[in-house]
Amino acid sequence: MVEQTSQTITQKTPLLAELKKGSSDFSSLVQQLTETVGKEGVLYDAQELLVYECDGYIVDKNAPDIVVFPTSTEQVSKIVKLCNQYNVPFLARGAGTSLSGGCLPIGGGVMIVLTRMKQILEINLRDRYAIVEPGMVNLHLTNALKGTGYHYAPDPSSQGACTIGGNIATNSGGPHTLKYGVTTNHVLGLEAVLPDGSIIELGGPTAEVPGYDLHGLYVGNEGTFGICTKAIVRLTRDPESHRTMLAVFQTIADATRAISEMIAAGIIPSALEMMDQGIIEAVEEAFHFGFPLDAGAVLLIEVDGLEIALDEEVRQILDICNACNVREIQRADTPEERLLIWKSRKQAFGAIGRLSPSYCTQDGVVPRTRLPEILEFIEETSKRYGLKIVNVFHAGDGNVHPILLFDERDQEQIQKVLEASEEILEKCLELGGSVTGEHGIGVEKINFMSRIFNQTDLDAMESVRNIFNPRQICSRDKVLPPIQSDEKSTVKQSHPARHAPH
Amino acid sequence: MSSTQSDSLEEFIPASQTELSRFMTDNAATSQKQIFPVGGRTSLSVCCASSLSGIQVCTSQLNRVIDYPVRDMTITVEAGMRIDHLNEIVSAEGQRLPVDVPQSNRATLGGIIATNTSGPKRFSYGTIRDYVIGTSAVDGTGNLFKSGGRVVKNVAGYDLKKMLVGSLGSLAIISQVSLNLRPKPETLSMVWFTFDSYQKIDRALEALTTSGTRPTAIEYCNSKAARQIAAESRFELPCENDVICISYEGSNNEVHWQTNKIIEEWKEFSPLSAQIVDSDHATRLYNAFVEYQTSSDDPVTLKAVVLPSQMLKFVEAATELNIAVQAHAADGIVFGHLPDSASSLEDVKHILNRLKKEPSLQTGYLTIYQCESEWAEALPLFCSSPPGWSIMREMKNAFDPHQLLNSRRFAELVET
Ligand SMILES: Cc1cc2nc3c(=O)[nH]c(=O)nc-3n(C[C@H](O)[C@H](O)[C@H](O)COP(=O)(O)OP(=O)(O)OC[C@H]3O[C@@H](n4cnc5c(N)ncnc54)[C@H](O)[C@@H]3O)c2cc1C
Ligand SMILES: Cc1cc2nc3c(=O)[nH]c(=O)nc-3n(C[C@H](O)[C@H](O)[C@H](O)COP(=O)(O)OP(=O)(O)OC[C@H]3O[C@@H](n4cnc5c(N)ncnc54)[C@H](O)[C@@H]3O)c2cc1C
Repeated sequence: MVEQTSQTITQKTPLLAELKKGSSDFSSLVQQLTETVGKEGVLYDAQELLVYECDGYIVDKNAPDIVVFPTSTEQVSKIVKLCNQYNVPFLARGAGTSLSGGCLPIGGGVMIVLTRMKQILEINLRDRYAIVEPGMVNLHLTNALKGTGYHYAPDPSSQGACTIGGNIATNSGGPHTLKYGVTTNHVLGLEAVLPDGSIIELGGPTAEVPGYDLHGLYVGNEGTFGICTKAIVRLTRDPESHRTMLAVFQTIADATRAISEMIAAGIIPSALEMMDQGIIEAVEEAFHFGFPLDAGAVLLIEVDGLEIALDEEVRQILDICNACNVREIQRADTPEERLLIWKSRKQAFGAIGRLSPSYCTQDGVVPRTRLPEILEFIEETSKRYGLKIVNVFHAGDGNVHPILLFDERDQEQIQKVLEASEEILEKCLELGGSVTGEHGIGVEKINFMSRIFNQTDLDAMESVRNIFNPRQICSRDKVLPPIQSDEKSTVKQSHPARHAPH
Repeated sequence: MSSTQSDSLEEFIPASQTELSRFMTDNAATSQKQIFPVGGRTSLSVCCASSLSGIQVCTSQLNRVIDYPVRDMTITVEAGMRIDHLNEIVSAEGQRLPVDVPQSNRATLGGIIATNTSGPKRFSYGTIRDYVIGTSAVDGTGNLFKSGGRVVKNVAGYDLKKMLVGSLGSLAIISQVSLNLRPKPETLSMVWFTFDSYQKIDRALEALTTSGTRPTAIEYCNSKAARQIAAESRFELPCENDVICISYEGSNNEVHWQTNKIIEEWKEFSPLSAQIVDSDHATRLYNAFVEYQTSSDDPVTLKAVVLPSQMLKFVEAATELNIAVQAHAADGIVFGHLPDSASSLEDVKHILNRLKKEPSLQTGYLTIYQCESEWAEALPLFCSSPPGWSIMREMKNAFDPHQLLNSRRFAELVET
């Protein structure tokens, strides 16, 4: 590995060609792409390209030179081979909901949008898997499975828009991952077009395949190992029943203690979401759910399983909440009430608009028992910088999403948001956590990589990327920082990300 | 088993991962001897030719707890820790690693990750890959690299820890592991059903996909295997026919409800018998199932992975060849112990060739993971190339460029 990496250091990223509009290369590439996918599958008009200049991370923007919409694996392979032939970079895009800039086409080139590959190829309940194309919207799979008694467990809050291919590339999580795991726990195998255009299968529909766990390695590659063109995903039995509760606490400390006590008592709720006072106020003002405005925090708790077991589990949860000074607990007795409770959580972000013109959401993780410390630190940071910060997050797995509120027109505030975010993420690391629980590194967090990992760790990752993507022709300059240590990132953050809701 | 090899092998026992890393760096830079990582030595005979020379790197002293924040339900330990020891520590806190490990008094954490060991409850809990949240490992040139971390949710960087799962010690020596733990259930209960036809079993298994119950494990065994498993558990059970044994875990209440419910549900498939095995007895019976998959008295043990819906077809073919068969029925994982009558390499190859032609294996794999050591060289571990084989080769070259780490085993993974 050492030898190999030092070679890549000296070679660095090979230079890829810049596509000049009007050049003969440009026109002949467009022509060949059009022959591959048809006229309606290629965009290169500057106006039309604007839509693709960023994803959910809007700090940095750069339009691709050409956007293509393939409808089959063979077409993807042909497109990728053409990009190699013309020596231009390319990258995949699903729904473009990435919050770390995964779809930013650094160096321009060709963007391959997978949204026309959205078929379900097979649903097999006996063998508990489904085979889908990568552009399938996550929620559409869930909808297609309704009534079968099965579902696809990973449910990011963006599931109404995001695609299975994007979920695989980013190893997405969601509110129910505390109990059911993240995407990697539900992917059995996949088909991918490698950056040289060859088509490869990894894993498969059987419970395991011999050798190294390559599909496991592929999940979470953030689009840098080639393009996923088919996914074999595990299907999960629907729970027989569930109970949903809303527990209101006087202080954040009481709420986080309740979380910790629950996990310690061996209760794994199917969802455990926390909202602090700032969010409660906003939600209440917008939707009038009847939350007490002076409460420090509210926990949305859901347990699922066999009907016969649930009342006992709820009793234990109530005992724990009582021991942690809960003020009141609202229980959903009807499906409508359950929906209402979830609505309060899901619309929390929508309500933020009332608090501030702009906001920036972070994605830190701490060990669950350190939640009180990180929340205290966030509060203290908020005071120190004179910035309002509110919290709504997946508490059960320690994944905090502090939302920093600011006014985009105020340069000083922008600087403060950048610095405060950095301090919060540093603190997550100091507490034994991570700077990203579900959004990924992308371009946004690339400068943190060398703080989380040492050079040997990064070299190991680099050598794996080199196996899949030796020329970095596919989604270049993502995930791993450039090797030269003084040269931090090709993308310099000058503005906080205006991250979207969760 | 290991004695045939250790005769010609030196041994190195690192006291820390730094020492391990230094040793591997020196070896790669100077003598470039072959390295064989070993943990509990419970399965070193698997596809390793006997005429090896080099150094066994034994993880026996890498057995400390680094950090156990109990209330976080995660633990970080060194990879040489024995599974029973790990279980003891976490069990005292009402927690567990929900992975079944045969010979858990000897097997180590590094060993079970390297071999991707699992057992009956993989049906409901997944496998070791689902619980490893961070690893440190030393590659063939001595680089100590880590992946993941100590928190349950984390997507920083590539998931290199996954690549070590099932890597058979051919990429790196795993030195430290962080695990996600689960609560220990209150109780375990099993129902032992016997059937007189594959057709009935097939219908019953199909019905399980919509059962009102949520089994934690669904085991099949043919009567030959059933006799051995029942004998091992020292429990009187009917063994003249094929058996489906279903396990339930959870609170007393829910387990009791489910065992009765499944008996009710399965009446329509006319089982010959249905017997509930609860609590203490169930633990013994369960352990017998876990141990049986690697019981090594037979000349060859093979493992097939097929689609669950194809499992019975494969089992039928294996039973006709007088193989004792156990299967994790809903995962399509079949273990077969060849009969003593398969006394020569020729006999074994004949049986393998018949099985390889089984149509049920079309979507699936046959592997050999235990055999007489003198046959090891002639029997490949994997009977066909796994998908992604070319990438696996490149990974081997990247992490072990001098081909020092369990190279023989890696090269012999695939029948050429
Ligand atoms: C409102 C909102 C809520 C969110 N909630 C969550 C949440 O709860 N949990 C969570 O984990 N994330 C969340 N996200 C982030 C985002 O939705 C996820 O990362 C999602 O998986 C991205 O899917 P996508 O189809 O939009 O991918 P894109 O944004 O299009 O792409 C994301 C990355 O994947 C790559 N990619 C896409 N498709 C492929 C493919 N077929 N092959 C190879 N690479 C590919 C891209 O190159 C890029 O690097 C949220 C985002 C928003 C806007
Ligand atoms: C290919 C194979 C598949 C198996 N599959 C199953 C199964 O599905 N179910 C089941 O119940 N049992 C299985 N076993 C048997 C057995 O359960 C495991 O091998 C055992 O748990 C390993 O633990 P150990 O410490 O005894 O390892 P050992 O017997 O000492 O070593 C086994 C293998 O792991 C490697 N290894 C050991 N420690 C490390 C380390 N720290 N870092 C890197 N590599 C290491 C060794 O080099 C060797 O290749 C399998 C064994 C093999 C070889």
